[in-house]
Amino acid sequence: MGRKREAAGLRNIDWATFSLFIALSAIGWSMVYSVSYSQEAGLDFLSTSAGKQLIWMGISAIAFAVIFAIDWKFWQTLAYPIYIVGIVLLVLVLFLGSTIKGSTSWFVFGSFSFQPSEVAKFATCLAMSNYLSNYRTNLRTLRSQLIALGLLLLPVGLIMLQPDAGSAIVFSSFLLVLYREGLNSSYYIVGAFVALILVLGLIVEPTYIILSLIVLSIVVLAYHFEDNRRYWLLGALTVAAGTYFAAVNNWSTQALLAGAGIFVALSIVQWMQKQGRIVSLLLVAVIVGAGLSYAANFAFNDILKPHQQDRLNVWLQPSKADPRGSLYNVFQSKLAIGSGGLQGKGFLNGTLTKLNYVPEQSTDFIFCTIGEEQGFVGSFSIIIMFTLFLIRITIIAERQRSNFSRHYAYCIAGIFFIHIFINVGMTMGLMPVIGIPLPFISKGGSSLLGFTVMVAVLLKLDSNRYRI
Amino acid sequence: MEIKNEILYRVYILLFAVVIPAAVVLIYQTIYITYAEGGKWRKKGKELYIATRPVEPERGNILAKDGSLLATSIPYFDIYMDPNSTGMSEKDFMDNLDSLAHCIATYVDNTFTPGGFREFLLDRRRAGDRYVLIKRKVSYAERKFIEQFPLFNLGRNRGGFIVEKRSERKRPFGLLAQRTIGYTGREDAKPIGVEGTFDEYLGGQPGKELMIQVDRTNDIWIPLEDLSLVEPKTGDDVVMTIDINMQDATQEALLRAMNYHDAEWGTAVVMEVKTGAIRAIANLGRTDSGWWETFNYAIGTSVEPGSTFKTASMMAMMEDGFIKLSDTIQIDRGTTEFFEQTMVDASPFSAKIDSTTVRHAFEISSNVGMAKLVTKYYGQKERINKNEGAARFIQRLKDFNLHLPTGIEVGGEGNPYIKEAYSKEDQWSGTTLPWMAIGYELQLTPLQLLTFYNAIANGGTLVKPYVVQEIQRFGETIRTFKPTILKRKIASAKTISMMHELLDSVVTRGTAYKLRTDEYNFAGKTGTAQVGYRRTSEGKTFIRGYQASFVGYFPSEAPMYSIIVVINKPRRGGYYGSDVAGPVFREITDYIYRTQVKLHAPLNQQPKPALAGQQLPASSSGTRADVLKVLDYLKLPRYGNPASEVVALRAQTDSLMVLDRSLTAKNVVPNVTGLGLRDALYVLENRGLRVEVDGYGKVARQSLLPGTRAQGQTIKLFLQ
Repeated sequence: MGRKREAAGLRNIDWATFSLFIALSAIGWSMVYSVSYSQEAGLDFLSTSAGKQLIWMGISAIAFAVIFAIDWKFWQTLAYPIYIVGIVLLVLVLFLGSTIKGSTSWFVFGSFSFQPSEVAKFATCLAMSNYLSNYRTNLRTLRSQLIALGLLLLPVGLIMLQPDAGSAIVFSSFLLVLYREGLNSSYYIVGAFVALILVLGLIVEPTYIILSLIVLSIVVLAYHFEDNRRYWLLGALTVAAGTYFAAVNNWSTQALLAGAGIFVALSIVQWMQKQGRIVSLLLVAVIVGAGLSYAANFAFNDILKPHQQDRLNVWLQPSKADPRGSLYNVFQSKLAIGSGGLQGKGFLNGTLTKLNYVPEQSTDFIFCTIGEEQGFVGSFSIIIMFTLFLIRITIIAERQRSNFSRHYAYCIAGIFFIHIFINVGMTMGLMPVIGIPLPFISKGGSSLLGFTVMVAVLLKLDSNRYRI
Repeated sequence: MEIKNEILYRVYILLFAVVIPAAVVLIYQTIYITYAEGGKWRKKGKELYIATRPVEPERGNILAKDGSLLATSIPYFDIYMDPNSTGMSEKDFMDNLDSLAHCIATYVDNTFTPGGFREFLLDRRRAGDRYVLIKRKVSYAERKFIEQFPLFNLGRNRGGFIVEKRSERKRPFGLLAQRTIGYTGREDAKPIGVEGTFDEYLGGQPGKELMIQVDRTNDIWIPLEDLSLVEPKTGDDVVMTIDINMQDATQEALLRAMNYHDAEWGTAVVMEVKTGAIRAIANLGRTDSGWWETFNYAIGTSVEPGSTFKTASMMAMMEDGFIKLSDTIQIDRGTTEFFEQTMVDASPFSAKIDSTTVRHAFEISSNVGMAKLVTKYYGQKERINKNEGAARFIQRLKDFNLHLPTGIEVGGEGNPYIKEAYSKEDQWSGTTLPWMAIGYELQLTPLQLLTFYNAIANGGTLVKPYVVQEIQRFGETIRTFKPTILKRKIASAKTISMMHELLDSVVTRGTAYKLRTDEYNFAGKTGTAQVGYRRTSEGKTFIRGYQASFVGYFPSEAPMYSIIVVINKPRRGGYYGSDVAGPVFREITDYIYRTQVKLHAPLNQQPKPALAGQQLPASSSGTRADVLKVLDYLKLPRYGNPASEVVALRAQTDSLMVLDRSLTAKNVVPNVTGLGLRDALYVLENRGLRVEVDGYGKVARQSLLPGTRAQGQTIKLFLQ
């Protein structure tokens, strides 16, 4: 709390975060250069991708400086107005924006374009942080939960209208900060259950899901017998084995009926034994699960358009996807990463990536350029750098005295986490292909500027953490 | 404390259950892709998508001795479009589609309307095609033109413009020496000729180009022009010894004879005596559509040579010292029997005479005489032939290298076949020796026989025939093939000079008498061999056809060229060597004589021709200094020495008169008709006139009349 510490400016900046930020941006620029230099040879430097990216880096640097010059209280004070501006922009883009690849999510000014959803992410961070730091907010109350959810869903809804599923999914990162700030764990457990059933529903016959749920429930019910638990369990496992045997021999329907009968019988027995709570929970789980699995199956086959089905197939069952169609990106991307080997082919020497073999090479799939040219060493280093970056933000978050600052830090940690995990995951076929950029590295001015502003505000708040 | 723990617990969950596991999963997947599946991906990356593929080098040219192109590769281009090129934006495509379709329909391919092409290209783009043919076989100029079309002018990546260079082998001289030049790269045939033998030089080194596979099902690769590639190394040029004009004359002469005699096949080869360089080699075979170079008969066909082989028999006996030219021999009026096989002379002279000199027997090509001589000296194992008998004769033939192929560098040479003396394997019989003496029961290719005659012409030195004299790279000689001496001396000088005498007298007095000319002397031997014959045990011979040949050299005083002409199965216009093959020989020697000034005796050493007016060019005029210099150099008598700048010549009966060719005054157009262009230009431009020229030769007409005022007008000269 010495005087020195209180002085604003770069002196109090968190050097670890700042260095990682600068290093990742520099790596990003060199990758963009590597991808584009041969295709754009002969163009004036500033009109190449790398040149444009450099201009955006300059603009981001100016933004960084400006944020450091502004008083740190500015962001909390203006959190809601900024949020409103973000929402207004999202509305405006629906009417005034340009449609690129089917999404009306861009404002285009000459050769530069900008995505208002980047503003919305940042604005939602500020608004959410501000709301959570309000002393009246209590996430244990339904009212607070609904308001927080509303802050989140308003921009998500507008973005879904563009439609830009990728950016919308990023907003799920706010669930992380809500968890940290005390939202009930059971929401997450239910959510995970629902998500799991939904995903399974896409790839597995609903009958099998329901059968599995019933068998699991029978085992759980058997476990809850206090006398002769061992025999009950043995019986339950026998039922499980029998069901499995029936299922693989195409007697699913019979097995289902039998299982359901046993389940109902056990439920009644347990009900009599005053185990009503567990019985009702399991009943709800089985019924909801059955509904969800049918819903997912129905949605996948009857509501989703073929290209959307394909995207999910690419992720969940690549063998069903067309290798030269929807699987192409991921296939090419894996090919690029795999062909890099340990040390990679060397800077500017990646044949696959440089030749634009992988679509969206310099934007969403830039990670495979690293994989190809820098090899495993490069990919590993980038993942480690991002992990350190996230851990560092968490540490920064936990050392804040101001609730606003802490919430904000968690908000952007979540946003970075989602971006990094989904982006890197999709280049390696772990995640569905959702068009979201890799922070600091992907080409693209508005995303670089957006991420820079997020980091700058974080570092500014952090540098003033002793002022409270 | 409870709450604080709860919060800490949640932070840990976030870090250790979400962030770090995520990182671990990502790193695991990286390792999995790079290592567990790495080999698979790397292999696919290399083989399936991008690969260095060989680029065909440009093949070297085959040149004649004077640099004329005998075979060359003409480049052409196939133009394709990649309507889904990675760099092509929808905007670029749609903006340029209409004009591109218009250009293609207007200038490249009128089978569709512009609208049709527009639909087509749009359709191909929507279908995801990456390789759409625009036009095959366009020239460089057309390619440059098409490259300028809208969209294409954006280049390979943005415009989808694909050019594939190919080349086509052309022989500008068509049939000339076609078979010897040969070919490679035909799917149905082995490479032959110089193309085949010198493929190593002509072929060059393939380059490497990075290609990208755009269509896996159809295995379509397109080049990536902006990546490093190894330039293919153009093949070297092969310079043949062929003299294109001599080749032309030889081929023409042979073709005329083939047509006239309606023969089966024929060949004619001209070889330079000192070096063995083949100056012309023509091969014509009968096909459904006339005579074509279908087979290299000269090099590849071993045949019984017939009478032309008597030279070898004669030379063997002379070398052994058995005979003198003046010795008398019996020719039994042209019919005799060896072991109940009748041998008959073809020559009508033989029927009238019982005995004659060795020399005359050779001149009239008496089979009986030659066979009798050979059986006399080699038929028995006696002292004179060191008890070797026929083996000694065979040994002599071997001394002349007649049992060995010439070793010419073009592949496919036929092997000679000379029977080993008394060999059972070779079915040696009593009739073998007498018939060998006259060129049967043995086989030689025309080129092998020619090589033997060439050695006689060359004073006994046997040189190897060759068709390639050097290898050039970009006009620089990188390798020279020198003449090869196979045997310094195949016979003594005395024998060789006797052979010269004999071969001379064949022309001056013998079977080739009617071929002689006053202009130059040549020597040679006729041959009229039976082909497809069958000799019965009753001693009769059935003959299916003849093979007429003539082989010799010229000029006989100092031989420069040896020539063989073989015409197989002539069907009309006679069948004797002197009637069928001889005239071809003469046509060739005539041509060579006319075109090679060094063969002519210098004019001024001969009696002066009468300098009659009509023997001189009608209007010989030029600058005085030039005309006088020429006349003095040629030592032609002249009189008159005008002082004018330009003079004219007029022929008198015994001398030339130099006349003043006066030109008019400075500012007047002079009369320049009859002047060479150089002089006319000099004169006219000195008077400030601008000159336009049409034609070549001497000025025949001028557009401005002589005497017109010269005021810097344009004067047109018509030269003839």
